[in-house]
This record gives sequence, C-alpha cells and structure tokens, in this order.
Amino acid sequence: MPAPAPIDPRGPRFNQAVLSVALLTGFLVDWRPVVPLFALVLLAGAALGPKYGPFLVFYAKVIRPRLAPPAEMEDPRPPRFAAAVGVVFLTAGALAFAAGHAGLGWALALMVAALAGLSAATGICVGCEIYLVLARRRPVAG
Amino acid sequence: MFMARGVIVIVILFAIALAGRLYRAWRARLQDEKPIHPLVPDSLRAGADRTWVVFTSPYCATCGPVEASLRASDPGARVVKVDATREPHLAESFSIRSAPTVLLADVEGNVTARLVGAQAVDDYVRRPPSGVAG
Repeated sequence: MPAPAPIDPRGPRFNQAVLSVALLTGFLVDWRPVVPLFALVLLAGAALGPKYGPFLVFYAKVIRPRLAPPAEMEDPRPPRFAAAVGVVFLTAGALAFAAGHAGLGWALALMVAALAGLSAATGICVGCEIYLVLARRRPVAG
Repeated sequence: MFMARGVIVIVILFAIALAGRLYRAWRARLQDEKPIHPLVPDSLRAGADRTWVVFTSPYCATCGPVEASLRASDPGARVVKVDATREPHLAESFSIRSAPTVLLADVEGNVTARLVGAQAVDDYVRRPPSGVAG
C-alpha cells in the first residue's frame, strides 16, 4: 500500500489548539455538550481524512495561504491515530456524562485537552508516539 | 465551583508549559551531545569509497525525497536505506533518534558527517563542506 501524501504538520497542531481551548473553556463554564461535539469533530478528521475535519479545512483554506510554506511535511498517519485516540476518550467522556458520572466525563475530557494542548504548544504528540511504538512492533507499509 | 475549575485549568496550562520547557531542554541536550559512532558495517558499505546511510521509518514523509536528493547530488557514492524500525540495534548503535538521519561513511566505515532532518540534508547538498566530495 503506498504511503499517504504528506501533510503540513501545522494543520493538526491548529486542530489540537482549538480542541484544547474548547474543552478547557467548556470545563470552565460546565458546558458538557462540548465533549460529544468535539468527539464528532475529531471523528470526521480521523475517520474520513483531513478534508472532512472542519478546523483542518479552516486551516487549509484560511490560515495556510497566509503563512510561509512549512519547513517539513509529515506523514498523516500518526496525527490521525492520535485523533482516533482522542475520539475514544471523548466518546467515553460523553457516555460518562450520559450515565450521570460528570466527574469521570470531565476527567477524560481534560486528559484530551491537556494532551492536545501539549501537542499544539510544544509539538509533543503523545498519540503520535504511541503510533510510532506500535509501528516499530509491527512495521506498517510505507 | 467556577473558581475551583479555574484553578484546575491553570494547573493544566502550567503543566503544559512545564512539559514544553523540559522537552526543549532535553532536545537541546541531545543536539549538544557528540555521539561516538562505531564503524559503519561493511555489509552496508560494500567497499564503496563513500556511503550515505539513510535511516528511515515507515512513517517518515521526507525520507524518500532525501534519499533521491542524495542519489542525485552524489552519483559516485553508494546510498543505502535502513529502516530504523526493522534494524533497531543498528539504529541504536548510531544513536538514531529521528528520521531521516543520514550518515556519511568513508571507505573504512568512519562516520564523517551526520545530518538530522530533511532540512539539514538539503543544506548539506546545496553547500557541502569543503574537502567533501559531492
């Protein structure tokens, strides 16, 4: 299977910044719908590709044309895997809210917010690192 | 309640900033280290005068262009690609931390250049140090 086309790494980082700010703001004002809402946002980008993630599209159409070309491109698979992990956590958080466990719901959402913020601010993408560890154990086509 | 949540958010932001600082310090220390390389094994060099060893990974988007760039800019040299995920012991022996990392070996296997990242390779190809063929 051929490797997917490389992407501008700033797109996923912008997506992660929006995700982190939205979840932290939602937590601050106790607006729980932000959790399932962003589970869907992440799911769109992770499952269908960057063309379907609303904030990835916003970055590509509005922000990227105003920036210099990226110094390096990156493989889209690690950030996509990281987004899929985020979907799992946010879905679990939404289910926890539905079951009446608000504390657990926010704990899961804040874990995603913290890791997304870390990746956006520093480039340390924990989900991507997990992907790389898995790839080393069972090399993927590339 | 709002105050308590605000404190939690501030703690999270502080933790992110702290992790960022620690990560940058760790990366800076890695870059300052001058690794002592073993000889590049003859199985990779195959007797060539100059051998470029390109350490790649399956998730590396820039490794293919880097390899092609080296082949085009130094046609007299041997260029070999090593998937660091399939050769972890070899990668570890050369302290490979990211892909692409490129080593230039002389006829005896001594590492005479180490380039980390596509940009470093591009800079090297455009302006090779004097005394280095390419």
